[in-house]
Amino acid sequence: MKDLFFIGTIPWWAILLVALGMAGVLAAQFLSLKQRLSKPRSSILTLLRGLVYALLIFFLLSPGLVERRVTQLRRPLALLLDTSQSMGFPTGADSGQEGSKGRSRLDLVKEKLLSGKEPLIRTLARDYDLRIYQFGASLAPVASDSLPQLAPQGRGTRLFEALGEAARQTGSQGAILIFSDGIANGETKSLEESASFPLPVFPVAVGESQKFTDIRLADLRVPEFAFRGREIKVDFAVEAFGFAGKTIPIYFNRGQNLLSSRNITVDKDAFTQRVTFSTTPKEIGSQSFTLSIPLQPGEQISQNNQQEFKVEVQRDKIRVLTLSGSPSWNYRFLRMALKQDPSIDLVSFVFLRTPTDSVDVPDSQLSLIPFPIDELFLEELKNFDIVIMDDFSYRSYFNTLYLEKVRDFVRDGGGLAMLGGARAFDSGGYSDSPLREVVPVEMNGKGIYQTGNPLRALLTAPGKAHPITRLLPDARANEEAWKKMPLLTTLNQIVRARGETLLTAGPDGASGGSPLLTVGRYGKGRTLALMSNDLWRWNFIAVGGSESPQNHLKLIRQSVRWLAQEPSFEQVQIQPIGSSSAPGEKVELKVRVLKDDFTPAAHATVRLKVVGPEGEPIAVESFPDAEEGDYRAEFTPTKEGSYRLEAAAQLAGKILGKDRKSFRVAFPYGELEDGRPRPELLKKLAEKSHGEFIPISDWNGKTLEQIAAKLNAQSPSEIVESRQIQLWSSLWFFSLILTLLCIEWWLRRKWGLV
Amino acid sequence: MNRRSFLRILSYSLLTGSGLLAKKLAAADEPEKARPIQFVFAQIRYRGGDWNPHPLATTPLMEELMLRTSVEAATGRQEIDLRNPNLFSFPFLYMAGKYDFEPFTKEEIEILRRFLSYGGFLLADDALGQPGYGFDKSFRQEMKKIFPDKEFTRLPSGHAALRSYYLLRRIGGTRMVHPYLEGINLGNTTPVVYCQNDLGGAWERDQLGNWVNPCTPGGDEQRRDAFHLGINLILYAMTENYKEDLIHVPFIRRRLTR
Repeated sequence: MKDLFFIGTIPWWAILLVALGMAGVLAAQFLSLKQRLSKPRSSILTLLRGLVYALLIFFLLSPGLVERRVTQLRRPLALLLDTSQSMGFPTGADSGQEGSKGRSRLDLVKEKLLSGKEPLIRTLARDYDLRIYQFGASLAPVASDSLPQLAPQGRGTRLFEALGEAARQTGSQGAILIFSDGIANGETKSLEESASFPLPVFPVAVGESQKFTDIRLADLRVPEFAFRGREIKVDFAVEAFGFAGKTIPIYFNRGQNLLSSRNITVDKDAFTQRVTFSTTPKEIGSQSFTLSIPLQPGEQISQNNQQEFKVEVQRDKIRVLTLSGSPSWNYRFLRMALKQDPSIDLVSFVFLRTPTDSVDVPDSQLSLIPFPIDELFLEELKNFDIVIMDDFSYRSYFNTLYLEKVRDFVRDGGGLAMLGGARAFDSGGYSDSPLREVVPVEMNGKGIYQTGNPLRALLTAPGKAHPITRLLPDARANEEAWKKMPLLTTLNQIVRARGETLLTAGPDGASGGSPLLTVGRYGKGRTLALMSNDLWRWNFIAVGGSESPQNHLKLIRQSVRWLAQEPSFEQVQIQPIGSSSAPGEKVELKVRVLKDDFTPAAHATVRLKVVGPEGEPIAVESFPDAEEGDYRAEFTPTKEGSYRLEAAAQLAGKILGKDRKSFRVAFPYGELEDGRPRPELLKKLAEKSHGEFIPISDWNGKTLEQIAAKLNAQSPSEIVESRQIQLWSSLWFFSLILTLLCIEWWLRRKWGLV
Repeated sequence: MNRRSFLRILSYSLLTGSGLLAKKLAAADEPEKARPIQFVFAQIRYRGGDWNPHPLATTPLMEELMLRTSVEAATGRQEIDLRNPNLFSFPFLYMAGKYDFEPFTKEEIEILRRFLSYGGFLLADDALGQPGYGFDKSFRQEMKKIFPDKEFTRLPSGHAALRSYYLLRRIGGTRMVHPYLEGINLGNTTPVVYCQNDLGGAWERDQLGNWVNPCTPGGDEQRRDAFHLGINLILYAMTENYKEDLIHVPFIRRRLTR
């Protein structure tokens, strides 16, 4: 194809003047010839000259020719295949069609692409510059021969991110053909905000939204933490599609135990109802709960019928059980200290009467209640955090079998405090009891209970740093406070301390006194021995001396917290782990380690272990951090789920303690939660990108031709080559002028003008 | 064991026919240094009036206390005035009297306010039994100085002091001036309990074991109520409102409704 064009370097008015001049010359020539020749011969000669003039004016316009050649190209086409987990859901609910129920959405896509005599994938490869990608949480190229092996494993569907990336790789002449169910849980703002899409997108919608049947548990609202003994509410939505008129049971389990169940009746096809279950956790620690709905006949997706979650149950209060051998001032002021502390829940038993005491009235006139030995020691003990034996001897009330329960309670993590008095330690018969190995002091059955001698408490070196005896933050002020503590008058003798002695007692407060306050560990639990029942004097006598009772109250409360292993009183403390991270992202772990005297442990051996969602242990190496006593580690989880970090520290072979903390790893999207196909999203995408929405059921042999036609109508895929030919420099045109002039000359000569 | 002790033990044994009682009382008669003492009955010695209307009241009550409960007590009383530096070694104070007494000094008022505000307990006992006169008048005036914004109120029948050991339905004493106790409440506790029925008179027994004062109109039953009340108040002081703990409530309610 050639097109004429004019370069036109001479102004048009100049050409017009020349043309007018030439026209005048021709007119004069015609009139002159007419006098000598006949009119036809004059006209012929004038015409020939006029043609020459016209050609000259034509050349003044600098004429040229453009030659174009068009070559058709193969258009780039990105074929995007959704391989997210939702593509593993069944394609439809039509169980009437044999086999269709079991076929996944991705299976259907593969069938469309690969089956038949002339598979679609081959046609596409022939007609287009085909680039095949799979996408889920990310976009990845796929070879055409590996399409049969594709599996729906993507943890999310970052649909628009994948489209954007594919568009960049395809180029402006390309188009995108995408097979997807339309579930997108990445960013979706770009579709809403942008007026158009850079490339035409032809979404092929997989999955039947009209006949979709599913029941799912959605929008679960449950606290991450709960307090023992306080009700927690589990609020969630039940969404049902295609089950109008059916009654659906919902089960709420803790572990394997059914806690509650409920039936709800679905009253319409697209049904949503919020449901609330409640439970009151009785034990502390991480507890697993499950909500479930049995798979209903005809239901397409089973994965979202169950929701599992964990609740970290903490104690809102430290539950303390006190057993007091008799009413006493020690009990009175101990009770006052514990009762005034809102974080302590106290259950106390005071033995108002011994078996040798006689009463002068019937039992019905006494307020005494039976001591619930079996209930307390065999059933309820585990619900307490601390047992305080306050001047209490078991001998008159129960046998050592129950003390074995107390020993087991401490071994399993409970706290035990034995306070002195005439019924405690050796005087209470504990040297031959199962608690002998538990309490942090050694007894030989001969230790006596001394009274009447004034004794002053003295802080030991460990006592100066220990959180129990740290009454004031400043070390010197703390020592001064202890020096001012009122004198004691009673002391239980022991053989020696087995744990850390924080206070000693002597007549003059000099070092080398008898152990007064000793702490230790037994199994997972902590123990405390206070070899006096005069602790109340640190309260009330101090008040009489115009001092504050706070030191006594603080000592009691700090002891209780230490025994209950409150995190701030732990020697190994896992620092808070950041909010949930995704698989593949690094998780920063930090542990603080303190020595027995609660100063930072700089050279401790810290062992970290992460327990994965399926219970698999993963060792993690730790390194000392900049801060003394701090240790850090990094861990990169590979899959979603609940992880538990366990930390244990030793210093010079001595165990300092352990700590554990749970953290959750999850993608920010829930691919399996809602399997409803979203054709409306794909329609919108097609509309905005000037592509075309195609339900997979409508795909036939002509669909590809329609797509090609639409693409060509929008922007043909071809290369146009063009070449310019300048006519004024052409020999043919010059020859034509010469020929015309020669003919004119020949005619003039013939007709006798030359 | 002296003659007086022997006679007392013998009389108890004969009265109750119980060897156990004899054993208990014998234990109580051990030298006090040889056994741990958890409770000392301290009586306030004040100026003016009659601070000591019943000098022999303490021992019978202490013996009864040790006989019936697990509390180990000193059999004798500790006489103490409010300015004694050892006052706070005795968180239970007993104050009795018949007549007007000299007002407390500012220092004494401050000491007693501090004593009662931080866990101490005061049992006041009007031996005269004339409301608005004598001890009653003076005591109320002094307590008003100690707690200006507090008033005496009747202890309700379900008060922990009336359930701390015995489930008391009556108030004893040598006379029945009021069938109720009064008290001053601070928060959840009642650190001051006031009785106008002359409890000390009902507790008092001479060296031969004879009751010094008759109890009218109820006689021995009224005296027994006085002892029960004394024991309850001591246990209340030592256990605070322990009997209001939830674990006790259903038992006590069941017994009271029988």
